[in-house]
Amino acid sequence: MSTETPGPDITSRPTGRAARERMYRYVLLLCAAASILVTVSIVVLLARDAITFFTLVNPVDFFTGTEFLISRNVYGLLPLLSGTLLVTVISAVIALPTGVAAAIYLSEYASDQMRSVLKPGLEILAGIPTVVYGIFALVYVTPFLQTIGLPVNTFNILSASIMVGIMIIPMVSSLSEDAMSSVPDSLRQAGYGMGATKFEVTTGVVVPAAASGIFSSFILALSRAIGETMIVVVAAGSRPRMLNLSDPLANLFQGYQPMTAAMVQINSADSVSQLGFTSLFAIGLTLFVITFLLNLLSNRIAARYREEYE
Amino acid sequence: MATREPETGWHGENSDVNHLRGRAFEATCLAATAFGLVSVLLLLLFVANDAFRPFSADAGWLATYAATVVVPLAALAVYYYRLDEPAGEVAYVTSGLPVVGLLLTGGFAVLFIELLSVLEWFALLISLVVAGGLIVAHGRLRPKAALERLAVVFLSPVITMFGLPPTRFNWFVTDTAAALGLDFGLYYRVISLREAILMLPFVPTDWVMLLLTLVLPIAGAAGWFVEKRRESRRDGLAVVGMTTVVAVLGLVAGPLLGIGTEVWLLLVTFAALPLGVYVEGVIRRSEGVRGLAFPVVAVLGVAAGAVATSALGFAGPNPWLDWGFLTSATSRTAADAGIYPAMVGSVMMIIVIVLTTFPVGVGAAIYLEEYAPSQGLMGKFVTLIEINIGNLAGVPSVVYGLLGLALFIRVLQWPQGSIIVAGLAVGLLILPIVIISAQEAIRSVPDSFRQASYGMGATRWQTIRQVVLPEALPGILTGTILALGRAIGETAPLLMIGAAASVRLAPNSFFDVASMMPRQIFSWSSELDPAFRHGVLAAGVITLLAVLLVMNATAIVIRNRYQRTG
Repeated sequence: MSTETPGPDITSRPTGRAARERMYRYVLLLCAAASILVTVSIVVLLARDAITFFTLVNPVDFFTGTEFLISRNVYGLLPLLSGTLLVTVISAVIALPTGVAAAIYLSEYASDQMRSVLKPGLEILAGIPTVVYGIFALVYVTPFLQTIGLPVNTFNILSASIMVGIMIIPMVSSLSEDAMSSVPDSLRQAGYGMGATKFEVTTGVVVPAAASGIFSSFILALSRAIGETMIVVVAAGSRPRMLNLSDPLANLFQGYQPMTAAMVQINSADSVSQLGFTSLFAIGLTLFVITFLLNLLSNRIAARYREEYE
Repeated sequence: MATREPETGWHGENSDVNHLRGRAFEATCLAATAFGLVSVLLLLLFVANDAFRPFSADAGWLATYAATVVVPLAALAVYYYRLDEPAGEVAYVTSGLPVVGLLLTGGFAVLFIELLSVLEWFALLISLVVAGGLIVAHGRLRPKAALERLAVVFLSPVITMFGLPPTRFNWFVTDTAAALGLDFGLYYRVISLREAILMLPFVPTDWVMLLLTLVLPIAGAAGWFVEKRRESRRDGLAVVGMTTVVAVLGLVAGPLLGIGTEVWLLLVTFAALPLGVYVEGVIRRSEGVRGLAFPVVAVLGVAAGAVATSALGFAGPNPWLDWGFLTSATSRTAADAGIYPAMVGSVMMIIVIVLTTFPVGVGAAIYLEEYAPSQGLMGKFVTLIEINIGNLAGVPSVVYGLLGLALFIRVLQWPQGSIIVAGLAVGLLILPIVIISAQEAIRSVPDSFRQASYGMGATRWQTIRQVVLPEALPGILTGTILALGRAIGETAPLLMIGAAASVRLAPNSFFDVASMMPRQIFSWSSELDPAFRHGVLAAGVITLLAVLLVMNATAIVIRNRYQRTG
């Protein structure tokens, strides 16, 4: 702006404009603070009913009880935890190695063309609604497992977990790939300079250097598997059951009821006692705390590796 | 690597290096990448087979369509991929635009059939325009009164839409009028402009109102866009004029085609207008014109196939997913079951989410990227917000359902399973996703843009509104569409807030109990009858996935078109 003709509006009405600017700022701040409000209301509202529940049911009994039967007012969390644990472990066995291998391929080996096909493909896997995965498990995977001769029930934890595993592959692969691509090239060059092969550089340099990022993606994926609802509701059955430690393989073929599935069932049951209904919030709060802590841990670890290389 | 004695030279020379191990490792990794993709692809093929049952058709029918549609299109696709990539892009967009347009047309048609009459839409829009006019007029007349403006901004839409609440003043007016022998019907409140329009003795016919409030504004926006892009007022006016003419033609053409004038207007607005503008641009730039052959060949192929199969007497397949499935309610018998009410429920839920989550999410992203201080107490608070948003994105969906149940149904006592509760619960679920993607889009606007705007003397808000938001809009839209895709498929929150397992009648208010597509699919999944399990269920899954596919493809096209390079 030239000095001889100062713009007429720059100083003529400062108060109105300043007030408006302040107003926009506060309105936008309110929007940002809404997210805090969401967390607070989750904690407060879940805790409110959970506390009612725990005044009537001893927390020690709740967390160590081995039977969950609402109709008899027996609330033990361990059968539900068994289901959650099984789903998490089986899906982790499928997804963690597969996801890391996929990340290695995408970050170290894939040509640009391959990557432009495979990466959106994996994104699509993450975008399919979970109820659809559940239907895949119930209608297609379970009969398939039966035809290849596995003694699975109609509702079983194995096919549900396989689908949970496939669902969380993209989470592991994309976060691990980010970690691997942020390993500086100089480290790779140093490896090659020492005469290492590509395989040796990948497994000996890149993967260890990206370990914290990979680990953080593992935790996030586990948290996702723990919180997964629709797949287990559709395909894993509705019977809470303790793990059978004497015959571990038989566990896979039976139906279980993880925490999330139990919540859905309690909520949609026709006649539930007041106490039974509040147990919903106790389970929900437990689930929230577990996943929240895992996410926090994962973010911490991821933040550390970012500091290392950026 | 272990060092070797120097006289052997490079240790790869005498094939000490084993290639096999590396190759095997690479192949394993590729197999792992493909594992998830291939298994889901196989499952999708099974579902699609159940939904469409292509093999229930005569072999001749399949062969005819393969010859008239599949082979020519595949040949074209190979040609585009190998030789003419810009044409491939054109083919992709020209085939996709009508699909998106049809989807939007369907959405609006559902809206006008189920939710509000054309007259109500007309009244709503006129009131909003008047309210906007009041705000602008106040800004012109009294530019300095900022606080007064605030009041005008908030009050004028409320008054034009809902009227004034009951006050002594209304009673006074009513009583005085009654004493004078007049009856305004103002016993409870001052009537709003919207209600006044609804009470008009004469209203224009539906198609005139649609033309005025839907076709012309959108045509105007398209015209303005064209005018800005080409810097030619004539072209912009031509777009508006042509659209209006084609829309008015619907008076004759709509009934002739048996689709009604209103549907014609919607089709013109959402499918023909964008397609026309795009095709005209392609021809004018003469870039990838050969891509236009793709949709033409597709349409001609389908027509030729239809003629040939009916002439030769081949019977088509008997799919589960057909027009009847899309337009009827669910039923106890698999053959009559449909998904229509659930689709209406999903559309209305999306409206709630767009109206609530989108503004809050984008507002939060603007604050965090443009205003947030990095130091001091506020800085700590902002860091807390950022960490919190990251964590909220990882909270299981069922917990959001529980939040919706506790907050909206148990505390606020809103009707259980109603659309507004479903929309808000799922909206809270996707809020962190919207915020994070909008933040990324805003962050990608180069700082030099902001500096230039400040250098011109603009305030921070002016910079955001005039410079940052327009630049970031494609990114924000992409992120929001992807988040809405997530919202459409979410089931667990719907179960927790008690959305109906299945409804026979489509909802017509936001406080109605409704079912949504994934909820309906879930209730079909517990049917034991194979006709449900392998038929209706598969058709529902394919419908849901098709909607998601169109949304994601739209998002990707927007991203590719406007992606900032470098």
